[in-house]
Amino acid sequence: MNKTLIVAASEFTTLTRSKAFLLGLLMMPVFMAVAVGVQHFTRQATDIKDRRFVVVDRTGVLFAPLKASAEDWNRAARAGDAQTLPLFLPSESSFAEGDEEARAALSDRVRRDEIYAFVEIPKDALDPASTSTIRYYSNHPAYRVLPGWISNTLNREIMNVRFRDAEIDRQLVAKLTRRVETSELGLMQRDATGAIKAAAPVDKVRTTGIPVGMMMILLFSVMSGAPQLLNSVIEEKMSRISEVLIGSITPFELMMGKLLGSVSVSVLLATVYLVGGAFVARHYGYGDSIRGTDMMWLMLFLLIASFMYGAIFITIGAACSDLKDAQGMMTPAMLIMMLPWMTWFAIINAPDSPMSVGLSMFPTATPFLMLLRIMLPPGPPVWQIAIAVVLTAATAVAAVYAAGKIFRTGLLMQGKAATFGEMWKWVRA
Amino acid sequence: MTAAIRLTDVTKRFDGVTAVDRLSLAVPDGSIYGFIGPNGSGKTTTLRMIMHLLLPDEGKIEVLGSSDTRAARDRVSYLPEERGLYKKMQVRRLLRYYGRLKGRSVAQLDPIIDDWLQRLALRDWADRKIETLSKGMSQKVQFISAVVSQPSLLILDEPFSGLDPVNAEVLKDSVLEMRRRGTTVVFSTHDMGTAEKMCDRIFMIFKGCKVLDGTLDDIQATYGFDTVRVRSAAGASVLAGMPAVESVNDYGQMQEVRVTGDPQQFLRQLTTRTDVYHFEVTRPSLHDIFVRIARPPAAETPAPRVPAGAAAVTEATK
Repeated sequence: MNKTLIVAASEFTTLTRSKAFLLGLLMMPVFMAVAVGVQHFTRQATDIKDRRFVVVDRTGVLFAPLKASAEDWNRAARAGDAQTLPLFLPSESSFAEGDEEARAALSDRVRRDEIYAFVEIPKDALDPASTSTIRYYSNHPAYRVLPGWISNTLNREIMNVRFRDAEIDRQLVAKLTRRVETSELGLMQRDATGAIKAAAPVDKVRTTGIPVGMMMILLFSVMSGAPQLLNSVIEEKMSRISEVLIGSITPFELMMGKLLGSVSVSVLLATVYLVGGAFVARHYGYGDSIRGTDMMWLMLFLLIASFMYGAIFITIGAACSDLKDAQGMMTPAMLIMMLPWMTWFAIINAPDSPMSVGLSMFPTATPFLMLLRIMLPPGPPVWQIAIAVVLTAATAVAAVYAAGKIFRTGLLMQGKAATFGEMWKWVRA
Repeated sequence: MTAAIRLTDVTKRFDGVTAVDRLSLAVPDGSIYGFIGPNGSGKTTTLRMIMHLLLPDEGKIEVLGSSDTRAARDRVSYLPEERGLYKKMQVRRLLRYYGRLKGRSVAQLDPIIDDWLQRLALRDWADRKIETLSKGMSQKVQFISAVVSQPSLLILDEPFSGLDPVNAEVLKDSVLEMRRRGTTVVFSTHDMGTAEKMCDRIFMIFKGCKVLDGTLDDIQATYGFDTVRVRSAAGASVLAGMPAVESVNDYGQMQEVRVTGDPQQFLRQLTTRTDVYHFEVTRPSLHDIFVRIARPPAAETPAPRVPAGAAAVTEATK
């Protein structure tokens, strides 16, 4: 058996037997589950403390309907098995418009947590020509539910009064001003027989969710495999294992073996995620939206990205003598890796914008962002895909070549980390 | 003489500093060859060049008859000083891995692995991870990893350092066993006693240059019988100021003295000063030769200068 393959097999076995691999395997589903769970939890675990507030109604007619609406709200809040919303408990008060003492006294009550807020409804609130505002006082500016509810409730009641005073049927107005909604559709299709198929409604899961999911599979698979090469190389350097190994094989064979092992781990992870993802997609009726060509693109980009990032991490490992040294060198590598994380959202919103095209052509980001663009309908022009693939593949080859040169020299270097200048010298040697 | 390793005028420099300077040597096939030399003298650099881990700047290296040392790779094993093992790997898996990298199949390796594990009392540890082994056990596993491919040439860097006497004995027997099987063994050591007792030939490198190369007899013969081992009532202090004494290596209970002139004359002078219990005219030990070469001249131990009070004690003892 070829010695490179022996190293690759050993690397693969070691990596897949490690806790880090299990963690990596679980990382993506756990990440997704945590994201969904956190959303669910934050919905359930809202602050349900009673919100007592004082209303100074200078119109004389709005407090009663506000109180009635609060009671409706409270009934709804208590309706489920567990209360998920706070109770709104308004009480009425009055003071003259210019009475600053009264306002200060109410402010002190808010500070002492006796009440949550107080509201002043101006006298001319019912006048359509009025420019006065409803004034909401609180020391919890971040809490939006109560002021939002007060504003909506009072405005609804104010409109009712204004329509009534103008003798206009509000129901009729609502009917006449009803919006006509837009439904988003794809394009009409012809099947093999030439028959026209109706355009399907745009489904956000299909058009955005699945492309993002595929990109995430690629990201997690690469990031679970490649960084482990750093630890592996540093361990071999520190323990002088590399000296024993290089007594048996060439440094390039050793490096390629390690790279192949790591790439195999990434491919295994991606396969597991893809099979799992396809199963879930089929369960929810989206089985047809994961196409064979998309999987092919994912695997191609996975191979390119794994070799490219694997070579980067091997380079860092070979250039450093311990993990502390490596941390300093990791910063630029991490910045490059973070680029797809930081920009994928912008690409979803405008996949064909000049920025999206530029980012997806940037070699270290291409595997992730071009995959995303390919999967977002209608997809980029073929020439862009071709240029991106050639550029990123050439970068991967250059990274492996440079890593081979640095690995050969750095592997036997002990004591101090190589500088970027030294590494450049080794590459050119 | 068939040479397992032949170096001809090999030079290696690092950033302008010459680590190995025009070194030539020939390691006879089937011998045990000891590399000695102070730290930083170029031992490891030389071993690394032999292993093709480093390339010489000048000169020629032949290993097992091939000037492309990579060609002999599968027939040469190298054991670096300490470590060289994957902590998280199980013993058998590691030995198979290293053996397979030398071109052996698992079927060929397994009986050899079992044999060595049995021989070095590690059979029960075959499925344990390296990190669970003691230091002595790890060193034995390291040794097995080097011999499992049944190499023609075995290069060991400090194989006995840090071992207790029992494990050192086991490893010594294993090295001798490899020689019996026809393997040429090269090892570096700081233990002169081990080098004297085990090596067919000894090579010493100092400041990158060869300073000794030959059998122990050859080496000692060049120094002649200029050393005296003395045990006396007065100890080292009595040697102070004696004109024949060139230097003294004081072991506490015994002193190794390099003398100039006739040793019998020195004995007569000594007996006038103290009771002499033991007096042996001998050739210098390898340790002594090593120290003579490696110790800077200014730091060489002169004959002790004895204060006046001490001289009185010497007289009283007489």
